[in-house]
Amino acid sequence: MSDFSEQNPLELINEMISVAKRSFVKMSYYFLLWGWLLFAAGLTEYLLRTQLGYAHIAWIGWPIVGVLGGILAAVRGNKESKSAGATTYMNRVFTYLWGGFVVTLVLYIVASVMHHTNPGPGIIILTGLPTFVSGGIMRFKPLLIGGCTFWVLGIAAHVLPAEWSSLLFCLALVLGYLVPGYLLQKAERDGRV
Amino acid sequence: MGAFEKLDPLLHNQLRLAVVSLLVSVESAEFAFLLENTGATKGNLSAQITKLKEANYISVEKTFRNNYPLTTCKIEPKGVQAFESYVKAISGYLKR
Repeated sequence: MSDFSEQNPLELINEMISVAKRSFVKMSYYFLLWGWLLFAAGLTEYLLRTQLGYAHIAWIGWPIVGVLGGILAAVRGNKESKSAGATTYMNRVFTYLWGGFVVTLVLYIVASVMHHTNPGPGIIILTGLPTFVSGGIMRFKPLLIGGCTFWVLGIAAHVLPAEWSSLLFCLALVLGYLVPGYLLQKAERDGRV
Repeated sequence: MGAFEKLDPLLHNQLRLAVVSLLVSVESAEFAFLLENTGATKGNLSAQITKLKEANYISVEKTFRNNYPLTTCKIEPKGVQAFESYVKAISGYLKR
């Protein structure tokens, strides 16, 4: 026996679909976390290498930030997945997209170090892909633009002198992670994404 | 005037339709998630989930998390098809 006296079935379906959309992972946290951490590491490298005369340890910020960011992201991700109560296709796509990106990045860095080449410009270009794809999946234009920004600044980093690459990475992080991240955070709070 | 399509009696129920609508939108959902978002009682939700499972519209997995039982539901292809047919049918009713 039906009991739709209170609510139109299609209204109910739309309401439940809206509810389900709220269980999508809040991606803004990760863009802001990694944006600020990597920005700090990039700025540290630039200052150590070009201003303070410590070029031989200029790389030190990257592994520290990588481990710290990895721990914070994992803790947050674990907490979110336990409290969400539902797994979504979109969350699974993001997990594989960014997980695959991290693996690719690590392998690229290892290969660059083995060949004594600067991985910086390549890292900037690589970061454009998951950023752009995330923007496309979420239909969020600032991230699409952010992804393109990484690509453009990555090319610039290949053309300009090597000492510029960490500064260009910082600029790419501001335009590609931080600005879209804050805009995304607002959109998530407003329920627009 | 064209004939009205028959409405699936399994889905033409507020709570069962709410459950299937939620499950269609996610990959899987825990019992607590369904309970919170449908506003149903535990007993009623449990009963409706059982009916949907018996019809192979959804699958139900029972595991443990931190020693507490955890029930997770997932929509099955038959359920997706039934949901799509229901939406098409009810749209026809509501347009008239």
